[in-house]
Amino acid sequence: MTSTRASVRISLSSLRAHRRRFVGTLTAVLLGVSFLTGTLVMGDTLRASFVALFGNAAGGTDAVVRSTNVVTVSGESEGTRQPVSTGLAQRIGQLPQVAAAAPDIQGAGQLIGADGEPIGGQGPPTLAGNWIDDPKLNPYRLAEGHAPSAPGEVVVNRGTADKGGLKIGDTTVLRTPDPVRVTVVGLATFGGEDGMAQVTYTGMTLADAERHLTPKPGQASGIQVRAGPGTSQQELVDALRPVLPPDTEAITGQASAAEDQDMISGAFLSLFTTLLLVFSGIVLLVATFSIHNTFAIVVAQRTRENALLRALGASRRQILGSTLTEAGIVGVTASAAGLAAGIAIAAGLQALFPAIGFPFPDGSLVISGVSMLLPLAVGVVVCIGSALVPAVHAGRTAPLAALRETAVDDSAASRTRAVTGLLLLLASVGVIMTGVLADPSVWLSAVGAVLALAAFVVLGPVASTCAVRVLGAPLGRLRGATGHLARRNALRSPKRTASTATALMIGVAVVSLFTVFGASLKATMNQTVDRSFAGDLAISAPAFGAGGSGLSPRLAPAVDRLPDVATAVGLGKGVAEVNGSGRALTVTDPAALAAVLDLGKVDGSMKALGTNGIAVSDTEADKLGLRTGSTTRLTFTDGKERTFTVRAVYGQPELAGDYVITRQAWAPHRGQDSDSLVAVSFKDGVSAADGRSAVEKAAAAYGNPEVQSRGEYAQSSAGGIDMMLTLVYALLALAVLIALLGIANTLTLAIHERTRELGLLRAVGQTRKQLRAMVRWESVLVATFGTAGGLLLGGFLGWVLVKASEGAGDTAFAFALAPARLLVVALVGITAGALAGWRPARRAARLDVLRAIATD
Amino acid sequence: MTTAAPATGTTTAARVVDAVKVYGTGDTEVRALDGVSVGFPAGRFTAIMGPSGSGKSTLMHCAAGLDTLTSGTAFIGGTDLGALDDRRLTLLRRRRIGFVFQAFNLLPTLTVAENITLPMDLAGERPDRTRLDAIIDTVGLRDRLHHRPSELSGGQQQRVAVARAFAGDPDVVFADEPTGNLDSRAGQEVLRLLGRTVRQTGRTVVMVTHDPVAAAHADEVVFLADGRLVDRMPDPTAERVLDRLKAFEPAPSTQGAP
Repeated sequence: MTSTRASVRISLSSLRAHRRRFVGTLTAVLLGVSFLTGTLVMGDTLRASFVALFGNAAGGTDAVVRSTNVVTVSGESEGTRQPVSTGLAQRIGQLPQVAAAAPDIQGAGQLIGADGEPIGGQGPPTLAGNWIDDPKLNPYRLAEGHAPSAPGEVVVNRGTADKGGLKIGDTTVLRTPDPVRVTVVGLATFGGEDGMAQVTYTGMTLADAERHLTPKPGQASGIQVRAGPGTSQQELVDALRPVLPPDTEAITGQASAAEDQDMISGAFLSLFTTLLLVFSGIVLLVATFSIHNTFAIVVAQRTRENALLRALGASRRQILGSTLTEAGIVGVTASAAGLAAGIAIAAGLQALFPAIGFPFPDGSLVISGVSMLLPLAVGVVVCIGSALVPAVHAGRTAPLAALRETAVDDSAASRTRAVTGLLLLLASVGVIMTGVLADPSVWLSAVGAVLALAAFVVLGPVASTCAVRVLGAPLGRLRGATGHLARRNALRSPKRTASTATALMIGVAVVSLFTVFGASLKATMNQTVDRSFAGDLAISAPAFGAGGSGLSPRLAPAVDRLPDVATAVGLGKGVAEVNGSGRALTVTDPAALAAVLDLGKVDGSMKALGTNGIAVSDTEADKLGLRTGSTTRLTFTDGKERTFTVRAVYGQPELAGDYVITRQAWAPHRGQDSDSLVAVSFKDGVSAADGRSAVEKAAAAYGNPEVQSRGEYAQSSAGGIDMMLTLVYALLALAVLIALLGIANTLTLAIHERTRELGLLRAVGQTRKQLRAMVRWESVLVATFGTAGGLLLGGFLGWVLVKASEGAGDTAFAFALAPARLLVVALVGITAGALAGWRPARRAARLDVLRAIATD
Repeated sequence: MTTAAPATGTTTAARVVDAVKVYGTGDTEVRALDGVSVGFPAGRFTAIMGPSGSGKSTLMHCAAGLDTLTSGTAFIGGTDLGALDDRRLTLLRRRRIGFVFQAFNLLPTLTVAENITLPMDLAGERPDRTRLDAIIDTVGLRDRLHHRPSELSGGQQQRVAVARAFAGDPDVVFADEPTGNLDSRAGQEVLRLLGRTVRQTGRTVVMVTHDPVAAAHADEVVFLADGRLVDRMPDPTAERVLDRLKAFEPAPSTQGAP
């Protein structure tokens, strides 16, 4: 009991005495924990808000009637469902348990704003549907104006109207994808907000919706049903069941809302929170290295103190205990502060989101037990875990060490370390090569990547001596004695230099990894367009799944008729089950496809697919054992099953997709019709500018979609990647910041250690300026070492990721190193090193010469 | 400049005039130097002695430009140290003063040779090869030039410090208890080295010590007590120095100057 109390007292007093030393550690843990807390709290809050939102919105719907025929393509969050007859609503409405029933038509419709630009469409869906007059069955509420009653009248959710600068009475175009002239007659809200997140909504009359959003009138996506008084949701569903036609089901309103929630949390929120969690993991990993380093140095500096305690009778356990207690106190303090900061960040984001036009549903922050305890536990564990090895070292201090001069561990890397590291490196390269080249597997590659990281960490001290010697070689020549001394200082404790640099190395490695991977993705897309796109112009619009409403199927024939154009082919999307699993189909004019797309080696002919012919990519054909002439069965969303004969097998599915059928074959089974790409090739002798302006003029009548040259098309395909990279850089900036705090902290501690040395240097004639430069150059050297290691590791792992993705995905993947971007990363790392050395350098320069040389 | 040097006839390499150094204020005020005027003649080996707390280290620090006086002036040659800013003072220390401290004289990261040329390297100057060779031979460390300080004995380390102090051909070398951490044999060697260098090459050395045996190597001893100069003794021997020191002991603060 008493012995524990002594440990605690010792650690408390030492914390008090050395407060400054722990500032860096505290900050590192605080930042990591706040990031983690912020992520968890924000995820929970968003999830709760969505639940509340859907609960409110679907509150009046007691049952949903819909078709059971649905085809889900793997990787898409929502399947394509067969429509039901609108007449069903009337039949259902006559049941005694039913108070109201309304057909619900959902489709894609992208509004054009007052400035002529389409509103939204960069991801979140652009919805259009029939405006349901029963306010309990309609999730949208009329806030201003009136409901649509005449053809062309629409209600728009207020967020969309504001974004597009549309007011009541304005006339604009709705792409369905065929342009429809509409007049805004009302503004609506969703669950009390201006909209459901970034989703745009246009409500039209039932007749308009049937005309523009469904393949033929009389069809609806489903029927919304409200129960009469005293009938529960389940009772309503039970009552509906007997009157439903075959292949139709009824589910309760609650079940329907739960499905919608799952879709949002599953697709959007999980991705979002997982991404953030991964980055908080990286931040905490970087923090761990920084903290470990601080504790290792502090323990080394305290050798004499600990030895004295040992000599006076403190047990090993007590010394170990006091160091760990110290770590625990730092961990708890920093984590608690981090928790508070994290909650503040989440609250700040909640306030910020609406300001940047992302309606964040109102409601208090959801702070669950997990989002409190997990970050707290992680923070404390990281702290104590980082201090474990140094604490054991502290416990092992021999009492005699009190009599010796304080010796900093300047031992070079041991042979064991070098051998272990090399073995790890060999193992990782072996595993990676197997995972990448011999037997492509993402998992094996991931294991190899982790091994490679471990190898780099273990080999750090071995490499640091060598690397600093090489990197610092020009310093002596350029900066004279100052540079020479900086280099020697960076060399004096290889382990410390390495572990300081490791934190930065990990940060830079992840940055480089994403840079290389992003550049490779872009290169791949360019290559795809280069290789597969044989046309001169591409007209493209995001399809329904990607947030747009696609292109009118009538655009391609219109462009094709232009005198300058040789061929214009539209590519649309269909779905069907092939051999029992959902597949995306490309619906087009296969005979003309070869004029605008390079399909690679074609076995058979694309010319005469007819209504029962299909063309298949060679990889899919191999998988399913199909050859030219063989047959396969396709099941469509309307439940119809048809036999198709494989007429052609082609080599390049990059733009054409894996299955191609004709428009005629798709027509009986289609839903809202749209193309996602129209590929255009000019007649010989037509100049690019002439052809383009002719096509642009023709396209203007179809909702003015974007007309792009080959190069522009390639670039726009890759546009999303830069956005992703920017986000990743922003998130990783925190990890790099923590790594730099670590460098600054280590330097500050080192300066404390070298007080006498610095005093001596000043006495024999080193000016303050030289001293500052010396400290800064040491910082730059350490940072350069970390940055170089990170670039090496990140570049290598980027290559691994690219190769593994290629192996796993059957698609050719280009590898691009992005040297310009990596050079920027390197410069940022090195510059940041100079900044990290700024404060320690200033502190060192302020040192009192006399105090330094007189201390004993 | 107008004040006459106390030691007339010879040039003084370093001197202080009416030097006062006060630490702290009010109740905690300590007058480490209380109006000392003393000159250290060029080409001579002078020892500063006195009981602990007499201000001998403070005198050396102020004379060497490591510390500033509260009032009074300190000169190196004809240069008034009080008129120099930190940078000029540093450059002056680098070019015109050599230092030998009691301990921790050498940078552990540099080799012996690099330690010796450190002040010149900091100045970005090429050392004079012949003078450097001569000094290295004098201190007898030619075979150790590429060793690290940690590989040398305490005596060898101090000899390296002596070599560094003289390598740049300074006006004056200040030595602060240079033998304090050494056994008597190694200490003797370092002292003989200092004396020999002064006599053979006409250098100036000012050494602070509390050891009468060490002081006996000097040409002259100046005694300090309570921040005041109390005595000077030319051609000292260990016995005479010891006797003189004993005289301070009964009532050192009230005795005043002899």
